[in-house]
Amino acid sequence: MLKRMFAGLSLAALALGFIASGAAAADKPVYAVLMKTLSNPFWNAMEQGIKAGAEKAGVDVLVQAVESETATEAQLNTCNTMLERKPPALISSAINPTILLPCLKQATDMNILVVDLDFDLDHDIAKKAGVKIAFSIGSDNYAGGGKAAEWLVSKLGKDAKGPVLVIEGLAGNGNGGKRAHGFADAVVKLAPGLSVVGILPGDWDRQKAANITNDILTRNPDLVAIFCSNDTMALGAVEAAYAAGKGDKITIIGFDGTTDAVKSIKDGRLGASVAQLPYLVGSQAVEKTKAVLAGGTADEMTYVPTLVLTKQLFSENKDPLLQYLR
Amino acid sequence: MSTESDAASVPPPRRRSVVRIESLAVLALFCGVLSFLSPYFLSVANILNVLLATSVIGVLAYGATFVIAAAGIDLSLGSVLGLAGVAGALSMNQLGLPWPAGVLVFLAAGAACGCMNGLIVTLGRIPPFIVTLGTLGVARGLALVLTNGAPVYGLDPAFVYLGQGRPAGIPTPVIIFLGVGAICHFVLSYTRFGKYAVVIGDNESAARAMGIRVDRLRVALYSLAGLLAGVSGLLFAARTNAGDPTAGVSYELTAITATVLGGTNLFGGRATIFGTLVGALIMGVLQNGLNLMAVSSFYQQILIGVVLVLAVWLDQINQRRAKR
Repeated sequence: MLKRMFAGLSLAALALGFIASGAAAADKPVYAVLMKTLSNPFWNAMEQGIKAGAEKAGVDVLVQAVESETATEAQLNTCNTMLERKPPALISSAINPTILLPCLKQATDMNILVVDLDFDLDHDIAKKAGVKIAFSIGSDNYAGGGKAAEWLVSKLGKDAKGPVLVIEGLAGNGNGGKRAHGFADAVVKLAPGLSVVGILPGDWDRQKAANITNDILTRNPDLVAIFCSNDTMALGAVEAAYAAGKGDKITIIGFDGTTDAVKSIKDGRLGASVAQLPYLVGSQAVEKTKAVLAGGTADEMTYVPTLVLTKQLFSENKDPLLQYLR
Repeated sequence: MSTESDAASVPPPRRRSVVRIESLAVLALFCGVLSFLSPYFLSVANILNVLLATSVIGVLAYGATFVIAAAGIDLSLGSVLGLAGVAGALSMNQLGLPWPAGVLVFLAAGAACGCMNGLIVTLGRIPPFIVTLGTLGVARGLALVLTNGAPVYGLDPAFVYLGQGRPAGIPTPVIIFLGVGAICHFVLSYTRFGKYAVVIGDNESAARAMGIRVDRLRVALYSLAGLLAGVSGLLFAARTNAGDPTAGVSYELTAITATVLGGTNLFGGRATIFGTLVGALIMGVLQNGLNLMAVSSFYQQILIGVVLVLAVWLDQINQRRAKR
C-alpha cells in the first residue's frame, strides 16, 4: 500500500512538473527578477510592467517573489537559487537594504548585472559590501511632491495667500518625508503668499490624519490646502475638512493614486493624488537593463515620473502617462 | 490457545527511534522527482544552497523536537530567534563586546526566554500553547523596541564568517546544522535527560511515579529549546550580517512541521532528532525545487500545507497497521 502511495505521489509530482515548467526559449536571455511580494496592487502592477517591458525588449524574465514583506531569509535563499541559472542580469527589490547583499556580492563576482528596483538598496552600504549596482530605478518621490505643489499653485494662483498643512508618513526620513519636503519646498517658492504651518507625522493612518486636520483647523481656520504623503491619510483629512464644513474651501492632495482616492477625486471631494507608476517603473527597468547589457549607460539613480491625478485629467483623458496607470 | 491472543499478550518490540524509513523515503522521492524535473537540482551548488537554506530552520526544529517529545509545544521559537539575534548584534555593535562574548549573548538570550517559558508553564500551570503564544508577542515586540524597528547592520567580520564562510567549500551554517544535530541526537537518545523527556511525553503520571522530576526537566527542556533558538538567531544574524528584529517570523510553524514530518509524535512520547533533520530537509528541498521550477509563491504555500498533511496521514496509516 505504501508503494501505491509513493507511486501516486510521484505521479502527482510529475504532473506538477509539467504544469509548472514554463517554456523558456533557450536562445532568448532570461533576466532574473526578484520581487518582495505579489500580494499588493503596487507590486502587482510592477510585475505586469516588467513582463510588458520584457516583451517589448525581446527578452525573457523569470519573476519570483516571497510570501510576505518580512520573509527576509526566504528572499535571500531565493536569490541564491536564482544565481544558479547564471542570468545576465538580476533585478531585485530587496525587502530591506541589507538582506540581499551577500547574494548580490556573489552576483557581482559572477559578472551578473545588478539592478535595484524601487530604491531599496543603500548605495554606500552596498559598495562597502562589494556590490556593484548598475542603476537604481523608481519613482521620484521628492519631485512628485513638487508636482503636487505645481498643481496646487496652478489651481489657486501664484498670488494665493494662506496657511497650508503638510502631513507626512512616519516621522523622519523615507519616502513620506521626501514627498512632504518636495511639496513644502516647492509650494513656498511658487506661491510666496502661501505658508506651511507644519510638517506633522500622520503615521500613514487615516484617523491620525483626521485628528491632525481638526487640531490645525482650530488654530488656522483659514487653512487653504492640505498635502498628505499618502492617500489613506488624505482621505482622513477630507472627512475631517467636510465634517468641519470647510470641504469646499480647502484643497486636499494625496499620494499613491489608489482606487479609493480616484473615486474621491471623481466625486469632487479629494482634490488630487500623485500617482506612482509602478507599471512604468517595471517596464523601464527591463528596457534599461537590456540597454546597459548592450553597452549603454543609465543614470545611477534613474527616476520615473509620477502623475498628478485630478478630476480634469480624467475627464480630458488626454495625458499619455494615463496608459501606465494600473 | 490461538496465536492471536499469544501475539496480543507480548508487547511489540520498541522500535529504536533513530529515523523512520518513511521520512527518508519521502526525501529520496522528492530529490529523485526534482532532479528529473529541473536540470539545476542535482548540481553541487544547488545541494549546498538547499543545506544552507535549511540550516537556520533546522536548528530551530531541534529545539521544537525536545519540547514536543515531552508533550509540550513552543510557539515562540521564531520570536526568540529574532530577539536573540538582536541582543547578540547589539551586544557586539553597541556594547563593543568581542565576538566570542557576543556568541554567548545570543545563546544566553535564547536560553533565558526558554527558561521563562518553562517556569511559567510549570509554576503557573498554564498550558504551554498559551504561554508560548504570549512569549511570541513579547519577544517580537522587545526585539522591535530594542532596535526601533530597523536592522542593526554591519557585524564583526570574524563573526559573520559563522554565517558566510565556506571552510573546505561547505557553508559554515551547514556544518553547525549537522554538528548541532549530532549533539542533539546524542542528548535525546543516549542521555537520561533525553530519555526521560520522551517518558514524560508518553505518560506524565507514570514518569512522576517513576521518580522523574518532571517540573525541573520541563523547565530544562524549554530552556534548551530557547538555547537552540539562540543558535538559530546567531546563524541568521551571521548569514545576513545584521541583527534583524523581524527575523524568524512564522519560523516556529515550519520548525514544528519539520519535526512532525520527521516522525516525532506531535503529542509526545516518541521523538527523533535525525528524523527532524530529514523533515527539515524535506521542507527545504520542496521549497528549493518549487523555486527552481519557478512556481509562484502562492502555490508554494498551498503545496507545503498539502505535503504536511499527506506525510502525517501516511504516518498515521502506518502506525495503525503496526498496531494491528
